[in-house]
Amino acid sequence: MATSALRLDGVTYRYGDRTALSGLSFSVAPGEAVGYLGPNGAGKSTTLKLVAGVLRPTSGTVEILGAAAGVDARAHLGALIETPGVPPYLRGADVLEYVAAVRGMPPLDRAEAVRRASAALGVHERLGTPVGELSTGLHRRLLIAAALVGDPEILVLDEPTLGLDPLARHDLREALRALRASGRTLLVSTHLLDDVEAVCDRVLFLRDGRLVGDEPVREGGPSNAPGDRRTVILQFAKRVPPSAVRALLGPDESVTDSAETELAVELPGDDLRQAELIAAIVGAQLPLVGARPARDRLTQRYLQAVGREDP
Amino acid sequence: MSSWRRTVGVNAHWEVTRLRRSRRLWLLLIPPVAGPVGSAVADLYLRIPSAATAEILGLLVTAGLASLILLDLTALTVGEDLTHRADLLFVPLPQDRTAALAGRLLVSVGGCVGAYLVGALAVWVLGGALVTPPAPGLLPRAALFLPEHLLLAIPSLLLFLAGVTAAAAAFTRRPSEAIVAGVLAGVVVAGGAAYLLSQGELTLLFPELLAVAGAGAIGWTLATTARSAA
Repeated sequence: MATSALRLDGVTYRYGDRTALSGLSFSVAPGEAVGYLGPNGAGKSTTLKLVAGVLRPTSGTVEILGAAAGVDARAHLGALIETPGVPPYLRGADVLEYVAAVRGMPPLDRAEAVRRASAALGVHERLGTPVGELSTGLHRRLLIAAALVGDPEILVLDEPTLGLDPLARHDLREALRALRASGRTLLVSTHLLDDVEAVCDRVLFLRDGRLVGDEPVREGGPSNAPGDRRTVILQFAKRVPPSAVRALLGPDESVTDSAETELAVELPGDDLRQAELIAAIVGAQLPLVGARPARDRLTQRYLQAVGREDP
Repeated sequence: MSSWRRTVGVNAHWEVTRLRRSRRLWLLLIPPVAGPVGSAVADLYLRIPSAATAEILGLLVTAGLASLILLDLTALTVGEDLTHRADLLFVPLPQDRTAALAGRLLVSVGGCVGAYLVGALAVWVLGGALVTPPAPGLLPRAALFLPEHLLLAIPSLLLFLAGVTAAAAAFTRRPSEAIVAGVLAGVVVAGGAAYLLSQGELTLLFPELLAVAGAGAIGWTLATTARSAA
């Protein structure tokens, strides 16, 4: 079995005189979910196009499950690259059935494959509608469903939540989490750090075609599996000293000032522990007005990696 | 069944789906219906004096209609996905891109040539029945050339036009510009054929060259598609 689901080794790509990627090397382990972050023009979409076989590297190698990224290797890959248009007169079912046929599925199995992929993205009831009549969000979900047809082991998604409303974005995140939980390998390029935090184990930072960061999404742990430590921001109506919260939690928990009326509390990351904390604080009649995961740290790491110190 | 042949088959079916959904499939009815009917009306109106002339007129009308439809279908087969960027959806699929496009062209180009041949068959059957006999004592003027030669030469013309249009669509990535290129190629071919005819030098070499050029252009399009960036 290949040790890497995806591996790029010294990949350079040039558009004419412009170098889009320069000596890019990284790998993604089977079952791993990796976020791929970088500013506009950093080379994210170019990387994904190379993986998906849309482009060929100027130099270097791209491997999928240990094999060169050719036609055969792409049988293991589902990809959404940028925002493909689909001729407006086609039905969603036409597109998904075509993908199933290209993937070599027997005719009798195609309907079930289409149903599963479309149901995962919540577009199964609109498969008979011409694509030109679908909303932007439904169109996006249809394209992702097309990448899922045939249950490929590896998914490469470029801005998967682009154009989705909050509810659809939440649903898609849940779908991606379910895919990750089922053992799929994910490489997700996005500008939305919340998406990376919700779905990914690891994050790669790209700037000017070069990898400038490769680290776990959550600081202090290799993954977001239950049992890892997690930081929660508590918001109070007025300033509360850290010692007041630490007295409730015990000396092992880290409690620090996060802002004028906020405390950053590091605690075991399962939901039950958080609930116990909230209950303890409410019981102590501290002026708690809210609690949220400490997501801003990824933003800060992203900005430091791509060249800005602070937002 | 080999992977290449399977890909051709899947994409031929896909092209039929696209033609059906876009209603363009109905266009293929025009050459076999409007060609013979239109030329039959012209035969009667113009008092065509010989079966050979009626067949030539009918073949030209049918071929003209088939050519226009061929330009449209070929340009869209090659260029529509490029314009919509649908190739970003289809290229990452595990299939040979050359075989995929070959399967689709097989339907669009083959469909137009087939529609022409059906229309030509109808013209052949109807041609002799629509002749207006010349006055007693007069012999009809001989036809410009043998209609059998025209019957066989027109598929070469269609192949040439398909090649030019497909190559133009792959190059410009726009079906509209590809259609213009195809129309211009048709005008050049018509002018060249008329000149050679007037000089008495129109031989079967002319359509043979057209067929070779058309096949070459389609081959270039397939090769370009296989290595082009989306």
